[in-house]
Amino acid sequence: MKNKIKIERAIAGLTQEELAKQVGVSRQTINAMELNKYVPSTVLALKVGKVFHKNVEEIFTLEDTD
Amino acid sequence: MYKTVLLPNRYKKLGWALLIPATALGIISIINGFEWLKWEVRVPALINSDLLVPSCVGCIIKTNVVNTLLGFLFIVGALLVSFSKEKNEDEFIASLRQSSLLWAVLLNYSLLAVAFLFIYGLAFLQVMLYNMFTVLIIYIVRFNYVLVRSNKSAV
Repeated sequence: MKNKIKIERAIAGLTQEELAKQVGVSRQTINAMELNKYVPSTVLALKVGKVFHKNVEEIFTLEDTD
Repeated sequence: MYKTVLLPNRYKKLGWALLIPATALGIISIINGFEWLKWEVRVPALINSDLLVPSCVGCIIKTNVVNTLLGFLFIVGALLVSFSKEKNEDEFIASLRQSSLLWAVLLNYSLLAVAFLFIYGLAFLQVMLYNMFTVLIIYIVRFNYVLVRSNKSAV
């Protein structure tokens, strides 16, 4: 699964730390998601969408390998 | 959001405070052949079987409790270190925990399987002795390694 968290974060002008605080996880988690090392739970994906005022599908997209 | 059965973070420090001295003294004990320090105490034993004295079930025995205490403190300390929350415990850290636990069990039993095939006699007793503690040791080392690595890459 790919995601546009880094891009959305840049648009919103948020640091990893700030986004982490808003969705209630550690900074490492945001970083691991941005590096595609961690696929978040549905709850966390929805929370990230909420922060950016976007639907989950606009931020997270499936890859052929999924 | 993320529910867990882990202990609060404050128990982790207590765990290290038990684990570090227990490990250090345990190593000293191994080097000195387990009889380096004597503290003979009468203790209740569920079962005691020995070559020299008759076996008993549910009796009071007099024995050197130094290694008993070290092993007990090591296990309690290692459990507290292993299963206390991180300060920032969340679902990603839970995934690191899970992978470390799988890793530890797999590596531990792989090593034991090799030992079963190639180590015989009294030396195998040594393997069993260490194997009592290696699952927790491997888990703690691996979990903290991936934790530090994820911390570094997040800078």
